[in-house]
Amino acid sequence: MQTLLQLTLANIRSFTRDRAAVFWTMAFPLIFILMFGAIFTGGGSANRVFGWADQDGSSASAELRVAFSALANVELRDLTEEAALADMRTGDLQAVIVVPGGYGAGIASAAQQPGPPIAIAVYTDPTQQSQSADTFRFVNTVLGEINLKLTGRGPVVVPEARAVQTESLTFISYLVPSILGMALMQLGVFSAIPLVGDREKGILKRLNATPLRRWQLVGSNVLMRLIIGIVQTVVIVSVGALAFGVQISGNLLLVAALVILGSMSFIALGYVIASFARTEDAANGMTSVVQFPLMFLSGTFFPIDSMPDFLKGIARVLPLTYLSDGLRQVMVGGTPFSPLWLCFAVLIGFLVICFAISARFFRWS
Amino acid sequence: MAEAAVQVRDLRKAYGDTLAVDGVSFEVTPGEVFGLLGPNGAGKTTTVEILEGLRTADSGEATVLGVDTSRHPDRLKPRIGVALQTAALYPKLTVTEVLDLFRTFYGARGRTTADLIETFDLGEKRSSQTRELSGGQRQRLAVALALVNNPELVFLDEPTTGLDPAARRALWDIILDLRRQGTTVVLTTHYLEEAELLCDHVAIMDHGHVLESGTVKELVGRHFQERAVRFDQIDHLSDTRLASIAGVASVAHEHGEVVLYTRDVPGTIAGVLSMAAESGIDPENLTIRRPTLEDVFLALTGRALRD
Repeated sequence: MQTLLQLTLANIRSFTRDRAAVFWTMAFPLIFILMFGAIFTGGGSANRVFGWADQDGSSASAELRVAFSALANVELRDLTEEAALADMRTGDLQAVIVVPGGYGAGIASAAQQPGPPIAIAVYTDPTQQSQSADTFRFVNTVLGEINLKLTGRGPVVVPEARAVQTESLTFISYLVPSILGMALMQLGVFSAIPLVGDREKGILKRLNATPLRRWQLVGSNVLMRLIIGIVQTVVIVSVGALAFGVQISGNLLLVAALVILGSMSFIALGYVIASFARTEDAANGMTSVVQFPLMFLSGTFFPIDSMPDFLKGIARVLPLTYLSDGLRQVMVGGTPFSPLWLCFAVLIGFLVICFAISARFFRWS
Repeated sequence: MAEAAVQVRDLRKAYGDTLAVDGVSFEVTPGEVFGLLGPNGAGKTTTVEILEGLRTADSGEATVLGVDTSRHPDRLKPRIGVALQTAALYPKLTVTEVLDLFRTFYGARGRTTADLIETFDLGEKRSSQTRELSGGQRQRLAVALALVNNPELVFLDEPTTGLDPAARRALWDIILDLRRQGTTVVLTTHYLEEAELLCDHVAIMDHGHVLESGTVKELVGRHFQERAVRFDQIDHLSDTRLASIAGVASVAHEHGEVVLYTRDVPGTIAGVLSMAAESGIDPENLTIRRPTLEDVFLALTGRALRD
């Protein structure tokens, strides 16, 4: 046991002193999350920023401002019309709202007897269709309330907000478990490279000349990768939660079981590669050949359901599909591509097959 | 007689069609330094790896410290120390970490890391990663790793290959120390002067066979009764005249020197001096030397060892 722990410690030391390995296992997945996260969440849920040009300065215009700023996700910037338009052209503002002089007086007289409506100027960029529509939706909501209040009649029909969890995930909560699956896959597959390196350098042979048992050697390698896999999981999940608010809603035990099973399956795949790669360079090439299709065809970046049929067929036979799908199901309640029990079954089967192949073909010297 | 430390009988091992080891037999006495000599590809490393329990022989018998190495390598491994031909070290671990790690493989008994670092003069490098070590330091660390369990028998496969003269001498001192402490050492080398200096017994291997074995003295005596008298070439002394000198068995030329193999050294020298005096020339660099292992190897294989 002491031997196993010391050898695991030695492996962890060797690993953390290898900058390339640390980059691929730690930084690489995080870069994906941060990059895609920034692209796909930027703007969408952030505050709408409107320019607010009050040319009236009456108590009625102040009231209108309060009505706008009371809406969620709206920030008003008080500017002159010219300054606000300049800021909008450089992209700092989504829209500009101008309250004309005489607004307060117009409201007051409209209360006595109805006249022509008072125009509030709303500048939007019609080429930005969704933003423009978004702006008018907000403006109409506010002005509708104001109009109702002024005409003195209460609303006849009002909407009642009810929340329903839809099955489509936001992109970032789809991405976090997928990237975790990808990272665990890489961690396992890359175990081939140092293993072949140790064999090439004669380290495996040298260890074989000591009383060290082979199960201790293999066990320490697996243990070291599992420890790193757990660290990776914690880092990726934390970044997802802290930077993008992706919450883990599922059963933590199931998550842990999938993380460990997935890591072990792909470590076993790493041993299969190490069984057939003679040199460290060959192992490098083979891990690339294995990991890139897994990375791109297992639904890491987009749902498998949206893939063309022949790619769907490929995804169906790739083991990472089942790890990532399972992780999405247990972490963020993702729509199953295949039932969870099947994810576990496929990974267990894959582990057994890889173990059998490497037990048969792995060479120690 | 005490039980042999190593007993090898008619050992055979083939890789595909190549017979790497083809009927090798020898014996190593406890406490001695035993040298397995031969050129690259002679089968030395394969033989040693069978003895270390790393390979199994196709046939024949290999017993180390009374243990059958093919059948019970696990019983043998805790009792021996091994330095492979290439110093196989974890490149990113420090000297101290590697020594500590290997000690745990043997239950942390035997020599302490501090003691080994001191003995092998690695103090300055104790916190350096092994990939930063020089060739000599790597080799010393490899030998230190072979001693972490205080083994009864140490296998050193080409421990000084590629080292500069100073590093080589430092390792020789370590090996001689081991012998003084009563540790049996089995050493392979293709440096014959190293074998002459260190080894009590040697076996010369080529093409998977042991050509000859014994002490260095026995081997030389078996092949050369004569001694060699050498001097710089003197032009008009013909080989026929030199061969007529008393006791001269044969005449050879080497790098501008004349070599006379003779059983009567004083008679031969007197003859050479009087012939030279007739021509009015003093023979230069006149030396007598006994034949060396190099001469034996040349006689056995018909080629020099470093070809």
